[in-house]
Amino acid sequence: MNLEDWYRQDRLPHIYCAGCGNGTILNCTLRAVEELDYKKEETTFISGIGCSSRAAGYTSSDSLHTTHGRALAFATGLKLVKPRQHVIVFTGDGDCSAIGGNHFIHACRRNIDITVICMNNNIYGMTGGQGSPCTPYGAISTTTPYGMQEQPFDLCKVAEAAGANYVARWTSFHVKELTEAIRVGLETPGLSFIEVMTQCPTSFGSKNKMRQVTQMLDMFRDNAVLKAKADRDAAKGILPSPEKFVVGQFVRRNNPPLGVEAAK
Amino acid sequence: MKLVVNERRCKGCNMCTKVCPYGIFQEGKRPGSRGYIIPVLDHPERCTNCRLQKLYGRQLCGMCQMICPDQAISWIDEKPFEPQKVVIEY
Repeated sequence: MNLEDWYRQDRLPHIYCAGCGNGTILNCTLRAVEELDYKKEETTFISGIGCSSRAAGYTSSDSLHTTHGRALAFATGLKLVKPRQHVIVFTGDGDCSAIGGNHFIHACRRNIDITVICMNNNIYGMTGGQGSPCTPYGAISTTTPYGMQEQPFDLCKVAEAAGANYVARWTSFHVKELTEAIRVGLETPGLSFIEVMTQCPTSFGSKNKMRQVTQMLDMFRDNAVLKAKADRDAAKGILPSPEKFVVGQFVRRNNPPLGVEAAK
Repeated sequence: MKLVVNERRCKGCNMCTKVCPYGIFQEGKRPGSRGYIIPVLDHPERCTNCRLQKLYGRQLCGMCQMICPDQAISWIDEKPFEPQKVVIEY
């Protein structure tokens, strides 16, 4: 099976805006799945509600488009009933952290053998650009016209503290690294959480002085700091600047997962 | 192999112009069949994947295909005896 067979041809071209990063993340995920030679019958994509969650509809294997924030709850059920199934969850930042926040924490705590790909576009893109828990401090959105006054959520730290087995963060500009991270996440037993910073040029970029898609890609390239560099800076006592974010693999451990033992 | 941009899928976001190490993709000027301004290819025969994919038996660079959010970029085989444009640069 080659890469093109994983796309659902009758649904393409998709309805994402021009320059939306969700298509890139879909490419990377399907490339990683194809590299691991998964069979179509043994792979299921699950998604909640939002722009990011339309991605599951563009894959040719089985997919579930579930209620808002409850993608992880459905994924838990599927994985426990069919432990041999490879379960991949597409979710957005509003879906995963705001409405499904509790499901997310408890899925990490249970350490179910699924892979969660969180497309963090800093905003509620589908409903018109309202501020989400991941909107950066000072950013302008529809509900925060004078700048966001709340601190954003660091989803990778939440997942790490709650007990996920694999946690990584990349951006939609770092396609090769992201594909590698998803591949490692799929291979790791237990919950693998991959947060992908992605661009929303329509609702986020146009309000925050990044009207062109290429400007948003430049922002990702310039503001992403590798984890090794961030650790070196922290050891020297250099404080990180507020607009930068750390990318890389945060944790990979071997805690006992749920949903794998039953397969024996 | 040759590089093709699918006009039916491309939405003209110009993300490919950002990542190609050879600068093959250039911002287009005229709208395509669906009204989007499709990037134009500048000497696509320089592409590593076009030249060496068959020799190595695997995909080489492929950054443009990976970053294209609309799955519009692909490589196809040339037809036998397809006429090719030859440019002599002085």
